[in-house]
Amino acid sequence: MLKPPIFLLLLLTSFVGCNTTDDSPQKALVSINFSHSFNQQTLNSNNFNALQYTNAFGTTLSFSKLRYLISEISFTNQQGIKTLVKDYQLVDLGEDTGLFIDDILLPEGTYLLSMRFGFTEITNTSNVYPDLNAASWNVPEMLGGGYHYMQMEGRFLDLNNEEFIYAYHTISAVQNPGPENTREDTSIALNLGEITISQDQTQINVTMDIDQWFENPNLWDLNTLNGMLMGNYTAQKMMQENGQTVFSLDTSMGN
Amino acid sequence: MVRNLPFILFFIFFTLSCDTDEGQNQGYEPTPVNIAVPAIFSQLLPAPEIPANNPLTEEGVALGRALFFEKKLSADNTLSCAGCHKPNEGFSDQRRYSVGIDGIPGFRNSMPLINIAWNTKNKFNWDGSASSLQEQVLEPVVNEIEMHNTWPNVVATLENDATYLTKFEQAFGSPTISKELAAKALSQFIRTLVSGNSKFDNYLLNQATLTPLEQQGLAVFLDENRGDCFHCHGSPSNPLWTDNDFHNNGLDENFTDLGLGDITGDPAQFGLFKSPSLRNLAFTAPYMHDGRFQTLDQVINHYSEGLVFSPTIDPLMKTVAQGGVQLTLQDKAALKAFLLSLSDPSLANNPGYQNPN
Repeated sequence: MLKPPIFLLLLLTSFVGCNTTDDSPQKALVSINFSHSFNQQTLNSNNFNALQYTNAFGTTLSFSKLRYLISEISFTNQQGIKTLVKDYQLVDLGEDTGLFIDDILLPEGTYLLSMRFGFTEITNTSNVYPDLNAASWNVPEMLGGGYHYMQMEGRFLDLNNEEFIYAYHTISAVQNPGPENTREDTSIALNLGEITISQDQTQINVTMDIDQWFENPNLWDLNTLNGMLMGNYTAQKMMQENGQTVFSLDTSMGN
Repeated sequence: MVRNLPFILFFIFFTLSCDTDEGQNQGYEPTPVNIAVPAIFSQLLPAPEIPANNPLTEEGVALGRALFFEKKLSADNTLSCAGCHKPNEGFSDQRRYSVGIDGIPGFRNSMPLINIAWNTKNKFNWDGSASSLQEQVLEPVVNEIEMHNTWPNVVATLENDATYLTKFEQAFGSPTISKELAAKALSQFIRTLVSGNSKFDNYLLNQATLTPLEQQGLAVFLDENRGDCFHCHGSPSNPLWTDNDFHNNGLDENFTDLGLGDITGDPAQFGLFKSPSLRNLAFTAPYMHDGRFQTLDQVINHYSEGLVFSPTIDPLMKTVAQGGVQLTLQDKAALKAFLLSLSDPSLANNPGYQNPN
């Protein structure tokens, strides 16, 4: 029987002796960070509930909840090969959960980063995601079923300068809420642009510019649109339009 | 000898780094056991969360059950956990305030103890004051209003009982009794308290039929323009019937109890309390954190016409300006019928939940 050191030496030699010629690029461990701002001001759970933000309509508002769903998080390389790194992610800014997607292993190179706000019509199927069910992220069947895309809530100063509440919830737009409703996919494809992954470039920051939800192209008046928005088809379509410019790739990335 | 020194050091390090709860018999392994997960939970929810350092075992659950019903946990041997969390009252207490060993009532209604294993937020009590179940179960023993005891005294009392020396040894491999092990055993038992056999659960499994009134009530519950209950209290997709989160549901303009805000000190959280599960409402009256409503009708009336504004009112109380969602009498009756369909009559009679002492 071989003594252990000799056995280990042989084992090591057998590995070293293998043909290791590999032209594939080095891999880098990448993470995606979701950050949030309002008119260039950073928003995080520490400045929740502060009535210090002013939207394009001129309304002062605060945030007490911000949860949203991102799906189809993918990198497409220059050969057009798409790598799906995560099916979906529930980001909860108030609870500081879901803010990162870590341990993405990718070959160095240049990619297009894409994801989706919400679920597509096919993936937005009721009851199929246990973690989202437990998070009470569902949409009742009479409102089209499936799952929320976003729950953004807080307070604002109304026209009488008194505090009032808002619940800006986005879902698949639904017509005829009730048993005979028809649902329309209002998720948003996010093509965030090109990014080069290398050993020196491993953190990707995706920013939600929250002010855009209230501004572009639809000027949002919280005095009239502050609640009961889930079954409001027109409001959902406006939210989808405004959401087109909400997410961006922060190019000041680092490692 | 010197050549073997690294192996010896490794062995010593390995031995020291093992989890050695004091006096535990390293060779002993209690019998693993799983929570009885209801069929509808298996379909819709993630697996229950069990801490890696406190897996459920038959012996641990049995010890926890004995401790749950053990009056020796209180200073005068008159009150057990089950004294305020009664199996036939949904593991809650139908008194507005439970009364401690000195005859002093508390100031909040007893929270039901069911489906705790699915509380992924790990905030316990009406005010979120405990960050783990093991932390939660320690407090009532030393609470001056409740059991008014000390843990050293509890440990000493249990050490004088040969039955408990045996039970601790069976559960943890050592007859050593400590408050930490008692908390682990209590937590194991409480995690087995599962309620998932209501009429509505069976309806979701196509094993029961809702009455037309119950179906109308479900529609009210899920309608954003009527009940709008689902954001905080679950839905057919979330059969926990709670979001395990904290809300100000418009009970008071001024707070005498700050709830979560009393724990965090954050004024934005003054008057926030945990959403209780809507399961077993037939057995858990009175309602709200302070048990102010004796009947389900009063609860529904509150959300329909009784909401009041305060600086921390939850944004989901969208109709607070109108005083509530303004349900019709028919909607109210239907909502009540539906809510009662969430009650699980088998809970009280589960043989695993009875007093073993």
